[in-house]
Amino acid sequence: MSTLDPPQVESSLEGFLKQVRPRLKTLFAHYRIPLQDTEDILQQALVVMIYHHREGIRDPEAWLLGTVRNKCLLYWREQRRKLYDSVDAAVLDAVAEPLEPAQEGADLRRDLASALEHLPERCRSLLSLRYRQGYNPAELAERLGYSPASISKITTRCLAALTRHLVTAGACKKKVGP
Amino acid sequence: MTALHPAPVALERFILGQLSPAEMREVARHLLAGCPECQEVTAGLWEPADVFANRCEDPQALATAELAGEDSLDARDGYDEVLDRVFEQVVATEARLADQRALGRKLYDELMQCPAERRRLLMSNSQRFRNRMFCELLVEESYEAGFSDPRRAVEVAELAVLALDRLRVEDFDGEEAQAGLRVRAWAQLGNAFRINSDLASSERAFSMTESLLSESRVPLIERARVLALLASWRRAQRRFGEALQIFDRVAAIYKKLGQWNLLGRTLLQKALVCSWAGDAEGEMKLLRRALDLIDPHADPRVFLAARHNLIHALYDQGRVREAFALLYHTRPLYLKAGDRMNLLKLRWLEGLVAFGLQRIDQAEAAFREVREAFLELGLGYDAALASLDLVGVYVLQGRTIDVSRVAEETLAIFQAHNTHREALAALLVFCSAARLDEAGIDLVREVSSFLKQVRNNPELRFPKPS
Repeated sequence: MSTLDPPQVESSLEGFLKQVRPRLKTLFAHYRIPLQDTEDILQQALVVMIYHHREGIRDPEAWLLGTVRNKCLLYWREQRRKLYDSVDAAVLDAVAEPLEPAQEGADLRRDLASALEHLPERCRSLLSLRYRQGYNPAELAERLGYSPASISKITTRCLAALTRHLVTAGACKKKVGP
Repeated sequence: MTALHPAPVALERFILGQLSPAEMREVARHLLAGCPECQEVTAGLWEPADVFANRCEDPQALATAELAGEDSLDARDGYDEVLDRVFEQVVATEARLADQRALGRKLYDELMQCPAERRRLLMSNSQRFRNRMFCELLVEESYEAGFSDPRRAVEVAELAVLALDRLRVEDFDGEEAQAGLRVRAWAQLGNAFRINSDLASSERAFSMTESLLSESRVPLIERARVLALLASWRRAQRRFGEALQIFDRVAAIYKKLGQWNLLGRTLLQKALVCSWAGDAEGEMKLLRRALDLIDPHADPRVFLAARHNLIHALYDQGRVREAFALLYHTRPLYLKAGDRMNLLKLRWLEGLVAFGLQRIDQAEAAFREVREAFLELGLGYDAALASLDLVGVYVLQGRTIDVSRVAEETLAIFQAHNTHREALAALLVFCSAARLDEAGIDLVREVSSFLKQVRNNPELRFPKPS
């Protein structure tokens, strides 16, 4: 088939959905999207598709699979971002709270220091300043010599390294980095 | 270490960021203590998703991996129920959309039958026009009008922006859809201003576009369309590096979505940036790649535009015979397109190629025709450019009175259209030379080339003629 031959596309929406169904299932299974979140991803993609169908999406199957694939990847990035934010907030909360008895505070500081030990130098300094000395992002940027625009991205990478260590250290002892 | 382990379901919800802040803190604290049993569980949940979250996608590689059948049949079958439910809803939505489209078309026709000055009032006073499909149609019609009636394109895009301001999120299927159409309407308005050479208004509209694009999540296909319009604007501003980068982003999106025709269209637009930047070889290479991807049956107008630009590039490179041959084969496409702007482009190109082949009489007839038509359409700048091509013919024929006459007429056109002062200055220099019988073909080319550049680059200064 030449590149200019039109692809064979089912003309009715029902026919098209029947045709694309097996590949959608494979796609969701491959990306391990939880069932409860699949509905939103698929519905959003299909609704955009039917709005644009008449404007000439030339190969709706390729378009739909590409869009769903992209949404699956975004889904996991979004989940990760949420998790990093939560871990950050949880650690900040824990270190900020006056702990009784004193032993708990000491345990927390020891565990945090031990976790940070496993991170690359850059993350260790950044997170130490954040959790031990309460630096905010602007202060971190100034202290560590990063531009204010890039500090958020760097902090996210360091939080990713810390979170990864928290959830995988017991199963995988190798050192990880951002 | 905390003695009590979180339940497996809590660990799963922790990985998905779905616990309450207090619960998140509890689990994070437990994991921070380094519990190997719980980390065994969380590592199993983390690893597969981590691959996706950090993956740099190559669409082809992803598609191959997905189809490799590594996932169990059971895992796939679990999705059946969800797919059934979504498919049912989407089929119902499509039926509803068909009705809304018909209504949108009816509203559009009704609005266009009113005198232009009453349209805004009618839209503001009537709830009926609070319709998403009507707004979609306005944006599309404005885009189409850009090819045939640029002033109408602005008017319709302004109506689209106005109409969209009156819509609420409930009129859409979610915020993403609303943001997508809104940002596209603003980008189309900027685009329409660009086509009309109203650079200040275009700048304002595209500033709004960029701010909407950065603050909202927009469907991928809308993002690509908007970015393509933005890149064209960057090209018009002669910010070529940025324009090329934005077109690369657009191309990556279309590649990801498997939209080869749209990818071809993007390469055509990118080629135009190369042309403006003076990279003729890069331009022709991109145009040939674009022509391989664009379907002449599905997208005849874009295919024609790519051919037109290739002919122009060949002419500009002095490869007039090749340009002539390609023009001969492309002529039926212009005639088939049939709209006035395309026929004018054909005539203009015929004039240029004839001029290059020293067929002076044919060139003169074509330039005169084109000039009159542009004047009739109120496209003063294009009329002035065609006039200079005509002046070139007269200069070669030694018709000094005609040179002077057309030069004065062109000056009058520019003055009437309040054209940029540097363009006016260039033309004044030319008129002075014409009055003294000193306007040679080199000066014609110099002024013509300057007028083409200054059109989108008001900062440019006319150099002292050599």
